[in-house]
Amino acid sequence: MSSRELDSYRSGQPAQLADVLERVLDKGIVIAGDIRINLLDIELLTVKIRLLIASADKAREMGIDWWQNDPFLSGENGSGKLEQRLRRLEEKAGLPTSSEEG
Amino acid sequence: MAAAPLSESDAGSYLYGIVARDRAAPDAAGVDPRHAVVAVAEGPVAGLVSRVSLTEFDEAALPQRLADAAWLEQKIRAHEQVLDAALESGAVVPCRFCTVYRDEHDVRRFLAERADVLAAALARLDGCVELGVKAFAASTPGNAEATRAESGRAYLEARREEKQAREDLARSRAELVRDLHERLLAAAKDGVLLDLQSREASGRDSEMVFNASYLVDVTSRFEAELTAAAGDYDGVQLEVTGPWPPYNFVPEELGRP
Repeated sequence: MSSRELDSYRSGQPAQLADVLERVLDKGIVIAGDIRINLLDIELLTVKIRLLIASADKAREMGIDWWQNDPFLSGENGSGKLEQRLRRLEEKAGLPTSSEEG
Repeated sequence: MAAAPLSESDAGSYLYGIVARDRAAPDAAGVDPRHAVVAVAEGPVAGLVSRVSLTEFDEAALPQRLADAAWLEQKIRAHEQVLDAALESGAVVPCRFCTVYRDEHDVRRFLAERADVLAAALARLDGCVELGVKAFAASTPGNAEATRAESGRAYLEARREEKQAREDLARSRAELVRDLHERLLAAAKDGVLLDLQSREASGRDSEMVFNASYLVDVTSRFEAELTAAAGDYDGVQLEVTGPWPPYNFVPEELGRP
């Protein structure tokens, strides 16, 4: 089915970057095992999260702060839940922990 | 002979989203304009994929790339444009930015493993688009009385009034959010409230008081409801964005790491 009927909203203008960012960076399919490094799952998760955080830093400069309300990412309300989880998993997998990486 | 690898050592497979198997690849430049977007069919679905340089999208290099606003915007818009083009001719399940596989084989494996949930998602999204709805308040009442009050008593009185005004405003805004979301949700298939954007992000002088996104059947009465709603809230301006690929409405099990 075509979505032409609704095209009028965009009226040829590119979408606001913030509207794109809040969707493209924050929503959509996330695949834990997607990244090209073919090691342990935990490492893949780490990569994904680093990506999210790096994206969020950029977004903050642009005035977007959705992730600050996400305890999983902010580490504030969740008192570093993400960090703890990563460290636990890394220890379990016998990997060097995040804090030891260059 | 062993299956020929898709890539030389520097190429990865960037996955934009998933469409039904019989769909052609959209006519849009990918995140790396040197490589066309192709549809990689597997079972009932197909992944929209283009080759990217692993040097450019390397794990180690990415944080630095993402801090480069020009690079980020260019790539993000390319990602979005591929999905917009795909959306023109049917349902698409969008992937998050920077979903990169080592090669096409890994993309196929993902599609095969999640074929059922992806096909079900496409069926649910068929004939639907995501529409963003934002509302902006014309102005925020300020109150400078307190700082100008001369007597202590007048000061306290002004402070009290100011506090009351703030509470009233917060209450009426919460009411607006509840009311508007409820009526739009009733006209949509699904909907989510999003975080409010700052003025810098929205690029508007007025304050954002509502930000939500809806999964809308293109034949539904959503637009009529929206038009009606636009006249019902004093001092509030509604803005619609989209149609978007349904980022906010991917199956929950696929929407988290």
